[in-house]
Amino acid sequence: MSSIVSAPEFAALSRALDVASLRQAVHTANIANADVPDYQRLEVTFDEQVQRIADELDPEGVAEIPAGARVIKSADETVRLDKEMALMAKDAAQYQTLLSAFERSIGLLQMAIKEGREG
Amino acid sequence: MGMFGILDISAAGMDVQQARLEAAAANLANAQTTGQAGAVYQPLTVIVHSILGKHNGVASSDSLSAEALPRPAVSGTAQLDVPPRLVYDPGHPDADARGFVTMPGVDPISSMLDLISISRSYEANLRAFDVTRTLMQRTLDMGSHR
Repeated sequence: MSSIVSAPEFAALSRALDVASLRQAVHTANIANADVPDYQRLEVTFDEQVQRIADELDPEGVAEIPAGARVIKSADETVRLDKEMALMAKDAAQYQTLLSAFERSIGLLQMAIKEGREG
Repeated sequence: MGMFGILDISAAGMDVQQARLEAAAANLANAQTTGQAGAVYQPLTVIVHSILGKHNGVASSDSLSAEALPRPAVSGTAQLDVPPRLVYDPGHPDADARGFVTMPGVDPISSMLDLISISRSYEANLRAFDVTRTLMQRTLDMGSHR
């Protein structure tokens, strides 16, 4: 049996948080470089990797799947500031959702440590 | 990857907008200055380039740090090659033999439009900075509410 702190949801969540912070970094870079001539908008591709992790989600398998998120040049070459801000807000909300999920998992662990007692 | 590096990118963006603001302000402030032909104020423009990261902007998250993402930087200021305005004002001390005073070729309307775009870009960078800071703060607070 795997240890409770190396539970698969922790590995999956921390990987997803890594990617969410990479997304934030890429939005920030797009916004900062928006006025630069010839700048090509960047984006993160991850979704097929999420699918792979979801497909292979088992206690042993998760840790072996490479993070796999990649920064690529976007198909729409120029940065549109308003669109970029909207996407950043969306991805920030997603980051906070992941944090909440993390907190719940920690809460469950703490409940188990305290054997279900209050306080 | 470290989130502190993301804040640096926003800071670089705000730095560039600050430099553009200085140039636009100098152009507007000097719009009415006079001079003998050739010695008149030349409007300035800021030249901005992206410093590309180690991976030329393409990388995987395994090796990627915020340092690898492109960030803007001022590579210099240049004088705009615009012809000076000639204003007929024969009584002016700087007027030439025909009574024309030479003034810089600053276009007030395009300068004002520049100001609007600078202000919008600065705000966007500031917003990105704020969002990153909020996410960092929430991450630090994780698990401390129990």
